[in-house]
Amino acid sequence: MRSTLVAAACACALLAACNWKAGQANSAQGNISQDNRPPATAKASAVTNAPASNEMVMLAVPVSKDQALRIMHVRHEGMEAMGDATKALHRALSGTPDLATIRSNAAKVAQLSEQASTWFPAGTGPDVGKTRAKPAIWQNSEDFATRLRALQTAARALETTSKSNDVAAMNARFADLGGTCKACHDKYRAEEKH
Amino acid sequence: MPRQVSRGGEALTQRVWDLPVRLVHWLLAALIAFSWWSVHHHHTDWHIWSGCAILTLLVFRILWGFVGSSTARFSSFVRGPRAVAAYWRGKWSGIGHNPLGALSVLALLAAVAVQVGLGLVSEDEDGIFMGPLAGLVSTDTSDKARDLHELWFNVILALVALHLLAIGYYRLRGRKLTLPMITGRAPLPSGTEAMRPGKWWIALICLGFAIGFTRWIIAGAPPFSP
Repeated sequence: MRSTLVAAACACALLAACNWKAGQANSAQGNISQDNRPPATAKASAVTNAPASNEMVMLAVPVSKDQALRIMHVRHEGMEAMGDATKALHRALSGTPDLATIRSNAAKVAQLSEQASTWFPAGTGPDVGKTRAKPAIWQNSEDFATRLRALQTAARALETTSKSNDVAAMNARFADLGGTCKACHDKYRAEEKH
Repeated sequence: MPRQVSRGGEALTQRVWDLPVRLVHWLLAALIAFSWWSVHHHHTDWHIWSGCAILTLLVFRILWGFVGSSTARFSSFVRGPRAVAAYWRGKWSGIGHNPLGALSVLALLAAVAVQVGLGLVSEDEDGIFMGPLAGLVSTDTSDKARDLHELWFNVILALVALHLLAIGYYRLRGRKLTLPMITGRAPLPSGTEAMRPGKWWIALICLGFAIGFTRWIIAGAPPFSP
């Protein structure tokens, strides 16, 4: 009887210990990242065959191997820069919000997300070079394009909100943005290999 | 190798493991499995909860190791090299962890503690999820901690494999270790000193402290959080 009681108490207590909302994953207090890596912007625009428009080039004529490898490099750097900006944003939004860092990185993510339209032409998959981009991207190009547009919309929304002083709204938009990263990565990015 | 504990008298079924020890053991096993599964199925948020639950278990188990039942206490089973050697030669009788098994217990607890510590300061590669203490360190440190966190899991896997192999080995020699970890009872030769149980209210105090500590960590460990 006594041990049953203790068991029940332990079970309840453990549940209570875990009873923190998913949002609290975002609430860790943060200092601001001092990351000064140059953004991939310059390199991205250096790709000669990148179209000027924001239209996806999913179904464009397959690129040559040289071009493909160059685009994949730009894509890798761009994704890394976007990740760095997202990390800086997360830290800047936690604890005491750092508006300057939030604004510059929100702008960076928005800019990079637009450039991402040019990062996935056909022929830049794992059969061509080292990449975690799954072949499924080019088998479901419409779905992929929809998810990329969702990222761009979320990034623009965060950039717009970041110009206000409404930190709660920024946090909400940041959560939306994270959702769009995850929606694509869960489906179209292979696990990291060590 | 150790021989069976079977000197003199009939085997009596006696209490060996108290409820807190058994609960911690099985919850830890389940949560380690769940942590692995969740992070490989894109449930990073569940993975972080699981890690926090493991932290609670660890803190509780360490406290219970000082004030719990006799077989739960570190002072009763953590022995020096001479005791380990004596056990190897078959000169040991008692209940609870044997001197060699004790090393395995300590290694597993320490390895899991390191893993939790690394997880607390990690962030995911996209910057979407941060461990509760990731804000206390730089982005670079968080990223390195995540890499180590992934690598360190292999250490835990190795210790778990060793643990299972040892159980299999004892089973071949006629000793069943799994059932006692479920029921808390094992057939022991008469004359063996029985387990002295701990107090249930002390267990609750330990649990309360473990939960309080975990919640403090989840809050970013104020006042150290920036």
